[in-house]
Amino acid sequence: MRTALVTGGSAGLGRAMVERLLARGWRVVSVDRDEGPREPNMEHVACDLSDRSEVDALPARLGALAPFHLAVFNAGVSATGRFEAIPLDAYRRLMTVNAETPMILAAELVRSGHLAGPICFVSSLSHFTGYPGAVVYAASKDALAIYARSVRKPFARRGVSVTLACPGPLRTAHAERHAPPGADAARRMAPDIAARIILDATFAGRRLVVPGRTNRLAAIAGALLPGAMMRQMRRLIFERLDRDVW
Amino acid sequence: MGAERNSSRPARILITGATSGIGLALVRRHAPKARVLAGGRRAAADAHGVLPDGVSYVQADQREPERAVAAILGGLDELGWDGLDLAILNAGIGHAVDPAEETPSMLRDVLDTNLFAAIALAQALLARLEAGQGRLVLIGSTAHKGAPGFASYAAAKAGLHGFARALSEEWKGRVAVQVIHPGPTDTGMHARAGHDPGRVARLFARTETMARLIDRLIAGGRTVETISFARFLGRGQGGR
Ligand SMILES: NC(=O)c1ccc[n+]([C@@H]2O[C@H](COP(=O)([O-])OP(=O)(O)OC[C@H]3O[C@@H](n4cnc5c(N)ncnc54)[C@H](OP(=O)(O)O)[C@@H]3O)[C@@H](O)[C@H]2O)c1
Ligand SMILES: NC(=O)c1ccc[n+]([C@@H]2O[C@H](COP(=O)([O-])OP(=O)(O)OC[C@H]3O[C@@H](n4cnc5c(N)ncnc54)[C@H](OP(=O)(O)O)[C@@H]3O)[C@@H](O)[C@H]2O)c1
Repeated sequence: MRTALVTGGSAGLGRAMVERLLARGWRVVSVDRDEGPREPNMEHVACDLSDRSEVDALPARLGALAPFHLAVFNAGVSATGRFEAIPLDAYRRLMTVNAETPMILAAELVRSGHLAGPICFVSSLSHFTGYPGAVVYAASKDALAIYARSVRKPFARRGVSVTLACPGPLRTAHAERHAPPGADAARRMAPDIAARIILDATFAGRRLVVPGRTNRLAAIAGALLPGAMMRQMRRLIFERLDRDVW
Repeated sequence: MGAERNSSRPARILITGATSGIGLALVRRHAPKARVLAGGRRAAADAHGVLPDGVSYVQADQREPERAVAAILGGLDELGWDGLDLAILNAGIGHAVDPAEETPSMLRDVLDTNLFAAIALAQALLARLEAGQGRLVLIGSTAHKGAPGFASYAAAKAGLHGFARALSEEWKGRVAVQVIHPGPTDTGMHARAGHDPGRVARLFARTETMARLIDRLIAGGRTVETISFARFLGRGQGGR
């Protein structure tokens, strides 16, 4: 039986990936704080991925469940509002969960040989559009995206392909908490659709996946006209945020 | 220079990573005309050996960002600076390493020193930058688009890039924010990173040239600037 490691498999996009993998006969190890609904063939490893000492203890715990044939680094948190209004502690936890921990775990899994299969790093469409109103989230997702691009060749030499996923707005608790008031939830992508597209791209060994046509157009526009896209994001998001959420 | 203000008093400038390389070259350019607070990792006694006379120094190890911020705020308070004209956040480290062999502590040091400390400082300096109608400049790297031999370094610089772009939009009309990406420069960083650039090292920009170009781009005020090989070969090296 093939085994997948998914961080943040208890909710949202991660949950959708777990369900899809289970339906296809995988065994799944989910790492997060809350267990979420129990399923056969699913193991839960409780870990606060924002806590360095818990992260340091994780590779040994995961080693006992290895080998893995897929690793999805999906767990992530946001902090939206005016940069200066959010406490540094919250930014510290965000940066650890979103950027530092996935890098540490990926390096460890590849070095130890516990992973024999592809890696998917879940960044965000903000990597292409910019994200005023979530500047540290944007920084963490840019860091993760460029880490993914940087390790693609060196990890390939060890038989591990690396896919960078940049989903746009999803219909999850995360988006609900952080979107500006009045944002239209119906226009966000359902997590199960995003999960299918991202997993297919990961198994195909693709370098980059941006699920959804509208999101791909936004990514292209952001790459071609970064300044104009950033100003547009300011109008669409930053100017509409009425509260600071972390 | 962006920091030369029309008022009669000299500009107040904070430069981190000021004890070596590009940061030291920036200090040397500014010290004759401005008041400079220099930051670095080494002890004050070692720093004063290299810094020009009259430059103030604060030891602030950015591997512990929260403590580094406190130290730098303490340094500003000691000087009585309630406003800042320019902050150049330049401190940075990297490791040339196979990314699979990069240890947790290497990754954390690079992300903390290069990225999180800059974020923490930006937040802590806002009030003083606003009071001084100042400018925040982050020193990135052309590696911010990705580098297989310096994965965490590239990642940290990409984080700075996205942070600066988004923040300059948020702070529009309050504090100007720039990220400037130098290309390869003839400093000790490569040796310290465990990287031997080989013969191409002859093409690296001189630190003085790089500092001059950085100052010129600060004066230009654009949010994102890249100092590529072509740019300094064309306009910088040996030129005015
Ligand atoms: N939703 C969007 O619109 C959107 C857009 C672009 C990118 N993304 C990215 O997609 C990923 C998934 O987002 P989502 O919308 O599915 O988020 P979500 O519904 O909030 O779920 C986040 C998952 O991450 C886990 N997690 C958060 N903090 C953790 C911590 N400290 N330790 C361990 N696990 C932690 C959560 O588990 P526990 O709470 O149980 O710990 C949960 O399983 C994130 O990386 C997000 O940044 C989302
Ligand atoms: N050299 C290049 O080719 C190149 C290219 C692109 C971008 N850059 C960037 O330009 C900046 C300056 O680089 P450089 O080549 O001038 O480097 P450098 O000669 O190695 O100098 C680095 C400076 O950063 C300080 N520093 C290092 N670790 C620190 C820490 N933990 N806490 C506080 N300060 C610390 C050092 O202080 P101590 O001397 O006290 O240790 C020193 O002042 C860096 O951000 C670098 O990434 C350099």
